[in-house]
Parts: sequence; C-alpha cells; structure tokens
Amino acid sequence: MGLVAIATGKFLSSFSVFLFLTVLLMVVARRISTSVLLFSLQSAIITAEVFAMGVREKLAAAYVVGALVLLIKVIAIPYAFFRLVDRLKSPRDVKASTTPTQSVFIAGAMIYLSYAAVHSFGQTVHVPEDALAAAVALILTGSFLMVSRKKALMQMLGLLVLENGIFLAALITTFGMPLVIEIGIFFDILVGLLLMGIFTFRIRDTFDHLDVSKLRRLRG
Amino acid sequence: MILLLPLIFALLGTVLVLGFRDRRVATRAALAIGALEIASLSALVWQVHRQGPQQLGRYLRADGLSSFFLMNIAFIFGLVLVYASGYLRHIPEGRFSSPRWFYALVFLFLFTMVSVCLSANLGLLWIMMEGTTLASALLVGFYNTEGAVEAGWKYLIVCTVGIAFALFGTIVLYLAAVQAGMNPAAALDWVSLMDAVPRMGFDPHLVKLAFVFVIVGYGTKIGFVPMHSWLPDAHAEAPTPISALLSAVLLNCAMYAVMRYEVIVSHATGPAFPHTLLLIFGLLSMVVAGLLILVQRNLKRLLAYSSVEHMGIIAIGLGLGGPLGLFGALLHTFNHSVAKSLLFFSAGNVRHNFGTLRMDSISGMSRTLPQTSAALVVGSLAIVGLPPFGLFISEFAILSEAFGQARFLVVGLFLVMLSVVFGGFAFHLLRLLGGEPAGVPSSPKLIPSEYAVMGIAAFCLLVFGARIPHLFGVFLQEAIAVMR
Repeated sequence: MGLVAIATGKFLSSFSVFLFLTVLLMVVARRISTSVLLFSLQSAIITAEVFAMGVREKLAAAYVVGALVLLIKVIAIPYAFFRLVDRLKSPRDVKASTTPTQSVFIAGAMIYLSYAAVHSFGQTVHVPEDALAAAVALILTGSFLMVSRKKALMQMLGLLVLENGIFLAALITTFGMPLVIEIGIFFDILVGLLLMGIFTFRIRDTFDHLDVSKLRRLRG
Repeated sequence: MILLLPLIFALLGTVLVLGFRDRRVATRAALAIGALEIASLSALVWQVHRQGPQQLGRYLRADGLSSFFLMNIAFIFGLVLVYASGYLRHIPEGRFSSPRWFYALVFLFLFTMVSVCLSANLGLLWIMMEGTTLASALLVGFYNTEGAVEAGWKYLIVCTVGIAFALFGTIVLYLAAVQAGMNPAAALDWVSLMDAVPRMGFDPHLVKLAFVFVIVGYGTKIGFVPMHSWLPDAHAEAPTPISALLSAVLLNCAMYAVMRYEVIVSHATGPAFPHTLLLIFGLLSMVVAGLLILVQRNLKRLLAYSSVEHMGIIAIGLGLGGPLGLFGALLHTFNHSVAKSLLFFSAGNVRHNFGTLRMDSISGMSRTLPQTSAALVVGSLAIVGLPPFGLFISEFAILSEAFGQARFLVVGLFLVMLSVVFGGFAFHLLRLLGGEPAGVPSSPKLIPSEYAVMGIAAFCLLVFGARIPHLFGVFLQEAIAVMR
C-alpha cells in the first residue's frame, strides 16, 4: 500500500469524527439557520472526502463530482434555505418534539447502532469502518430529524442529511457511481428541493403556519 | 431513433402546451400531441415485436417487458387525455392551475414514466422514478385546497424518502457487481448484469441487502403496506384524470422497476428470497387494504385502497412465480389499470355532479345519474374479480398457481380477502345507488368524450374476460420470456 493510500485512509477515518460531530450538533440546534450552517459544514467535509478519493483512485470524474457537491450542497442549497427562511417570515425555531438531551441520547444511540450494523460488512467490502459507520449514522439521523422536527423546512433538511449519508456510502464503497448517473441524481435533488420550496409557500398560504404536524385533515 | 420519438413527443408536449393561454387551444394541442405520442409508442411496441429488443446508446433499451408496460401506458394515457378534455371545464383558473399547466405537467409526468420503461440502466431507472414523483407532485396539489396541499406535501416527502432507500439498494447492487469483477461503467446495465450474474459469483448477502432496500424503496411508490400512507391522500385529492394516471400507470411503472430487480436477484441468489419478500408484502397489502376498504367514507379513497389491494395481488403473482403466476401478474397489471380508470372516471363524474365524494351524503344515484351508475357498477363488478370481466382471468391464474404449488395459506388469505373486498364494494355501492335520491346532479348526462372513454374501458374489460386477443397474448408471452 502506497503512502497516499494510507494517508487518505486515515483522512477518511478521522473526518468521520467531524461528521459525527455535525450530526450531534444538528440534533440539538434550536434555530433553523444553525442547522443549515451545520448542513453546509457537513457537506464541506464530504467534499473533502470526495477529493481525497479522487487523489487516491486517480479518478478525474471525482473532481467533477467534488466540484458539484461544493457548488450545490455547500453553497447553493444553504443559500436557498436562508432565502427561504427570510421570505417565509415564519418563526425561526426548529420546533423539536424531543428535548435536546433526549435528542443527543438518540443520536448517540444511532451512532452506536451504525457501528454495530457495519461491523460485519466492513470486512467483506474492504472499506474504512469509521467512514461507513458515519454514512449509516447520517442516514439514521436524517430520518430522525424528519420525524422529530415539525417544521416543513427541517423535514427538507433531514432529507438532505439522509441523502448525504447515501452519497457518502456510495462514495466510500464504490468510489461513486458513473458520472452521468451522479449528475442525474444531483439534478433530481435540486428539482425536488425546488418543489418542496414551492410547497412550503403553499402550506404557509393555505394554513398560515409551517407546522406540518398540524396537517391532519387526511386520515384513514 | 424509434426509442427517442416517444420521449421527444412527450417533452414537446410539455413545452408546446405551455405556450397556449387559451383553454380550448391548449386542449386541442394536447390532444394532437397525445395522438402523436400514442402513435410513436405503438410503433415502438410493434418494432420490438417484429425485430426483438431495441437499443439506443448505452442508456435506452426496449424489450418485451418494457413494451408490454409501454402498451399499458399508451392505452391508459389515451383514455385519460380524452377524459381530461371534458373534465377540465370544471377546474377554476389559478396560479399554476390552468389547463395549460395541467397538460404540460401531464406530458412531463408521461415523459418520466415512459423513460422508466425505456431505461437500460438501473441508475437511470432510479433517476426517472424520482422524476415521476417530482412531475406529479404539483398535479396532486393541483387544486391548491388545504387537502390538496397536504396530500401533495405528504406525497413528495414520503416518496422521496422511499425512493432514497431504492437508491441505496441500487448502490449496494452496484457494489456487489463491481466486487464480482464487472466493469464499473457497465455494472448498472440491466443486460450486462443479466449476462454477468450467472457467470460471476455475486456476494449473495449484498444482493439480498440490495433487494430489501429496493423493494422497500420502490414498494413505497407501488403502495405496499406499510409504506402506502401517501397513496390514498394523493389519489383522493388529485384531479380525477391524475388519480387515474397514478393508480393505473404510475403504480405499474414502480412494479416494473421491482420486476427488473427481481429477475436479477433471482438469478444471483435463487428465487426463494425475493419471492418470499414479494409474497409477504403482497399478502400484507391485500389484507390491510382489503379491511380498510370496508370503513372508507370517500369514494376515491375507497378506490385508492382497492389499488393497494390489487398491487398486493400482482405482488403475490410475482412472488409465486411459475408460468401461471407470472402470466396472471402481468395480465393483472393491465386489467387492473383498465378497470381502475373506468372507476375513477365515474368517480370524477360523481364529484362534479354532487360536489362531494363523501359516500354518506350521496344516495339514489341509480335514478339521478343512471349512466355514471352503470359505469360504476360495471367497474366494481370487474374490480372485485367477477366473471365475465378480465380481472377474473388474471386472479384465477394466480390462484391456480398458488394451488399448484400447494401454498394453502396464500390461497386461503387470497380467497378470504377477495370475499371481504367483494362485501365492501357491494355494501358501499348499494348505499350509493339505492335509496331515496339525495341532491340534484348538476349535469346528469355524460358528454360524448366521457361516453367514449368509459365505453372503451368497459368493452375492453368484457373482451379480456371472454378471450385474450391474440396479439395481446403474443406481447404478454414476449414479456414473460424476458422475466425467465
């Protein structure tokens, strides 16, 4: 194993720690804008991992993907979120249905669970176990954010965290999918967010609030 | 080239229709492009039948299975388009909710569904499946009422999360393929995968893991219980032509995606694992949806739960496998879509005559709305699986396969649920049709376009109950051949 390979391996493992940190901070964040900043930071870490992979595997396509992640997830999406928060003029707290203490415990349990889940697979697929655990932890916390936060915007953010996790899993196990597919997936995410943005305006206009837990008309 | 035409026409429709502000011109333009679209789809289906699978570049491909589903799309889309031309006169103007927006989004929705069937690559298939959600979310929320916005939001969130799981499944399968030594660039091509699976040893654990995620992910779009929560809301709140498209075409497209994976996974790990999963989801959907049918109060929600039940039946057919099981499942996708469109069209007429779909505030419909009631009766008799309608044949085929394999638990549950659903439909229908007429219908006579589409659908159900047309049978066999 060359020096570069060892270095990137260590790099991926140690960066997982920062990913766990963003996850833990995100579940205790009280304001939407804090969560958005944390998401931006998280995406920046993932961008660094993409570039590290590009160096190790000597893949030119990885640089394109890395640039796309940087442009879309680190800059464009957080910017759009800040605009959205501004334009919607709704209260800025996340309206969590769990207390911060509970949230940290749940997130911690999820990180533990991710390690347990990838332990058997880590050996068969030959990837750094920490990085794979971080990916699964992102998927789990993303889902947790979606079910425990009542604001429509936070559900969108939870979805993005979940998607970050899937992206990371794809990156470290397969060095990313073919480029065309990767670009298609990015495009879908962008359009999906755009549509959710449109819907948040409609929810606010028809219901006068953004609390999706109060959307309870359709039952059974 | 012939693979591109249906995609081009659909996109052309989206762009062109947006340019017409006038309601009538937009409708005519949509009908004209729709006719071109259907012609190009038929040409493609015929070409596949005559010359075998068609491939264009690395990403587009049509074989017997795709062309069977394309035929389904073309037929239902034609009915829906003609029905919508009459239906749209009831839709009030608003932002994003004028006929031109409606047709533009319908064509975009069609584009994504046709692309799903034409994808040669499982990654592209995923992109287009997600595209179907995105294209139809605004259509579900088209009326902009409280219910429609809620249903649209729920649809968007639930299906996007579901589909994210399918992406994870796709990645795991890709991982398994690359690890087995496939060229990464071709590791998502369905044909190369089918070619490689028997030769190379795919890690069975990874393949199974992939299938679990895929069936949960795409199963969300199919409406398998317990991922079905978006389905009744979306079907009930969307404009009726869209409910018909969702139920009769979109669910089938998602089922098509699962079928593609099922074939690969069956080859890699043996059929036992994917078949068991399909049977579990199928039976669960059938039982839960069948029981929920009994307690519904809204006509369109009733129909939506019936769709969940029928997707369950199709999954059971696939899960049983065997010649009769596959035959029944594929035939049932078509039969169900015809019967369900007929029912949704009738429900649309009920809604604009009484202004509501609540079944407890409607009665005596057989006297006030005789033509719509007749269509509702024909559709209901067909959907509960009585002869002489097509669904009887396909359900009977699936049931015989279950008998043949001596799976008596499946047979028992299947029969019990069919009778429960029969009871449910009979109960609701008798209350709707019988009794003293309540409410005055606003326009009891069907207009010619409604007459035509409902007549065609009912006629088609009768024909398929009597005898499967020869050419259709050939297409069906070609589709089954791909699945083997």
